[in-house]
Amino acid sequence: MGAVRDEPVLTIETNISAFIPEPGSSYLFGTSVEERSAHSAEWESRAAGVHFIRLTDQQGAFFSVEMMGQQRKVLLRSREQLVQFWKDIPSDVVYFDITGLSHHIWAPLLRVGVSLKPRIIGVYVEPGDYRPSLTPTEGEIFDLSERILGIAPLPGFASLAESTDEDVCFVPLLGFEGTRFAYVMEHVQPPGGKTVPIIGVPGFRIEYPFYTYHGNRAPLTESRAWRNVRFARANCPFSVFYALQDIAATYPRDTLKIAPIGTKPHALGAVLYAMATLKPVELVYDHPIRKATRTAGTSRLLLYQLSALPLAGSRA
Amino acid sequence: MDSSHPATIMSERVSFSTEEQLSELFGSYKAEWLKERLFDYFTTPDYLPELMTSRPCVLVGGRGTGKTTVLRGLSYEGQFALSGSKADKIRESRFYGLYLRVNTNRVMAFTGPEVEHSTWVKLFGHYVNLLLCDLVLKFLDWYKIYTNADFDLDWSLCRDISNSLQIDSSDSILELSTHLNSARLKFEAYINNVADGNRPPISMQGAPIDALFDAIGQASEFAGKTFFFLVDEYENFEDYQQQVLNTLVKHAGNNYTFKIGVRELGWRVRSTLNANEQLISPADYVRINIVEKLQGDTFKRFASSVCNARLARLDVPGLAVIRSIEEALPGMSEEEEAVVLGVNELATEIKSGVAHVLAPNVLHVVNQLTPLQLWVLRFWADSQKVSIEDVLVDYAASPESWAERFNNYKHASLYRIRRRKRGIRKYYAGFDVFCQLAAGNIRYLIELVDQSLLRHLRDQHPLSAPVTPESQTTAAQNVGKKNLSELEGLSVHGAQLTKLVLGLGRVFQVMAAQPEGHAPEVNQFHLTDDGQQKSSDVPVEVDNLLKAAVMHLALIRFPANKLADEGETRDYDYLIHPVFSAFFVFSYRKKRKMLLSANDLLGLVKSPQEYIPRILAKQHRSNDEELPEQVLLFEAYYGRRSR
Repeated sequence: MGAVRDEPVLTIETNISAFIPEPGSSYLFGTSVEERSAHSAEWESRAAGVHFIRLTDQQGAFFSVEMMGQQRKVLLRSREQLVQFWKDIPSDVVYFDITGLSHHIWAPLLRVGVSLKPRIIGVYVEPGDYRPSLTPTEGEIFDLSERILGIAPLPGFASLAESTDEDVCFVPLLGFEGTRFAYVMEHVQPPGGKTVPIIGVPGFRIEYPFYTYHGNRAPLTESRAWRNVRFARANCPFSVFYALQDIAATYPRDTLKIAPIGTKPHALGAVLYAMATLKPVELVYDHPIRKATRTAGTSRLLLYQLSALPLAGSRA
Repeated sequence: MDSSHPATIMSERVSFSTEEQLSELFGSYKAEWLKERLFDYFTTPDYLPELMTSRPCVLVGGRGTGKTTVLRGLSYEGQFALSGSKADKIRESRFYGLYLRVNTNRVMAFTGPEVEHSTWVKLFGHYVNLLLCDLVLKFLDWYKIYTNADFDLDWSLCRDISNSLQIDSSDSILELSTHLNSARLKFEAYINNVADGNRPPISMQGAPIDALFDAIGQASEFAGKTFFFLVDEYENFEDYQQQVLNTLVKHAGNNYTFKIGVRELGWRVRSTLNANEQLISPADYVRINIVEKLQGDTFKRFASSVCNARLARLDVPGLAVIRSIEEALPGMSEEEEAVVLGVNELATEIKSGVAHVLAPNVLHVVNQLTPLQLWVLRFWADSQKVSIEDVLVDYAASPESWAERFNNYKHASLYRIRRRKRGIRKYYAGFDVFCQLAAGNIRYLIELVDQSLLRHLRDQHPLSAPVTPESQTTAAQNVGKKNLSELEGLSVHGAQLTKLVLGLGRVFQVMAAQPEGHAPEVNQFHLTDDGQQKSSDVPVEVDNLLKAAVMHLALIRFPANKLADEGETRDYDYLIHPVFSAFFVFSYRKKRKMLLSANDLLGLVKSPQEYIPRILAKQHRSNDEELPEQVLLFEAYYGRRSR
């Protein structure tokens, strides 16, 4: 495990009942099949003076949102439409709740938003529990994904730069689903010895890192990547961000191919890193379809001071 | 002995380092893991000369058949390494290969509803131009460095190339590279915001590549040389993207051509951008199917060379090591295996049961039989539902007429010797058997060897002694299990493929354990009609499942008749990959088939607990058969409980 770094702590832990967004701010969110992504009317009524903006539909190429009394469709591969969307948000302070948003929605939104709003605060609600699989096999302890759509770039993060296969360092941000790790690794085909997995430690719960090892045991063993594992706080994007900086420094000649297949805060850290770095980086994502009952309940609520990071990379 | 004794320490140290070496030599069975050592272990396959001609080639083979190794071996970096890294050999080369692995994460950027299909075709064509020209320019740069050659392309031709590529005007290779790189970045930004329009100028499909090779052809350095684009993992292209590449293959210039590596069924579209123009073998390209080329003894020879070259590198000071893989992995004849499985006791039981009822002349003949022959006769009696005494009398009357029957049933009868017993129920041992388990797949073969040798070492056996059949069998079971669990991570159909193999594996296991009265050694199936008149009526879901299963080596398919059209689902027989046979315990030999309907296949995937007994009942088998020990971890899946 790496040494404790002298970096600012930009993650704040709280809980839903204690958290009230600042008056005058906007709260951007979407709802998914998971209970934790939904807000109660009671909670919204407590946040007086907050402008709630709900993404009502999340499709592969666009999202729908109701703004200024109008239903609007925003294409994810349109900087112009994304810029206009952010400009129409009537506050300088925006809470960006990624809990109920898919990676392919929040990542391009964030890419454009950080340069337009002075203060974006990420919000994430941890699940109370994950649903265990009824017939668990190796690599599938929890019943999380229906299926995967396959490898495709996150909108706005496609990279056309060719790297030689040898000059690649593969960094999977591991979750519980070993089959997803195996699948992404099959596509990346990293050179021997240059897979550096990141596991969420501490996990959302104390036992989760062990589940992560258990679920990913086969690909970790086969690729011998268990020898290179690094750790980053499971609910903190900045921990991953710093870990990625360290890995990039260890492999200075290599393109980092980062697979954000673990926790959403880790994926956020990967996207932030891709936006901040000037080094070659590629996000490799498999686009899972989440199971409706994959999680239950809510746990901690995390606030991330996203605008505090210098995001000067070519993708920002 | 005290564990701190120097001899113990030495022995542990030696054994540890030997294990490490084995892992390096045999454990790194994926081409990408080997990095620069890939070329140290390169073994020339018999089909290589066919690939080295100036004709387009399509190299077809499943995961692990060695496509990447061969294509990388043809690359200029590979040829350089194989020549012993001698700079003077570079100029002597007849060809220069430019390796490109198709990256799904890049090519999928050229899909989506934001622009029309025809626009994607143009954009992708431009991307391919940038990509291939970049490969060539990188090679030229490498060539200049390694050969110390002082040459450049004619400046006016460079301008033509840059004009054709729609990049800033360039007068030299260096400028072309620089300007191409900055054009690529702009193009990347455009693709990332493709819905905004503002398209940068794009090049005409193939034109800059032709221009670049025209210029290269005029450089004396490359007079008479051919360039190969070695395009690996062609299956990763979208269908329309395959058409774009097919067009380039069809219309490639004089001094360059394409060598394509693709999984079986991965080349989904054969037409060019002109839908009426197809790529046809052998007129347009040479098709090389690795498994077809490496069958039987050819594969055995190749596999033996690969393994022995690695064994030769084992360095165990002061200890003898078997250097021949055939000697390291001895097999057993069926007679020997039957004895190890315990046939002697069964033969004795049979003899004692009939001793008092058979005439002395018959008994005399019976006493000449080997235990396995006697067991086959018992098997035959059970199959025909007649008494063993009658069968023995029949045999004694005309032993010569039984020769073929012995031959047909002796292997199948091995599977019932240890039926319902714990431990190994059937051995999978011997280099010959391993080659059959691998079915032309060199990666599987190396995995089997690796696991056998590691188990041998861990059981404290020296590498100077051959690996026991027990260790080989356990290794084969483990390799089957590992590849079964890996199936799930191979494709978007992974979970279905795992379930299909679990279902078929169980069906064939039960059929092997209950062979009486049935065709022996069934491990294949053919799709029944189910009322459909032609193969195009096979439900899309089943068709996709079977194609994915073949592409990812869950199944092997082969034409059911010689007129079969490639792509038609029903016209093929399907064999569950023999690498799974040791895990489930059924025959690894390509023998007999059963009929399954499309519904049966879907049922195996969707409701295995309902469909496995149903399919077995149609075959007059009972699902009561116990699971082999190594399969017990799936008992919940099968809805069974340990007894």
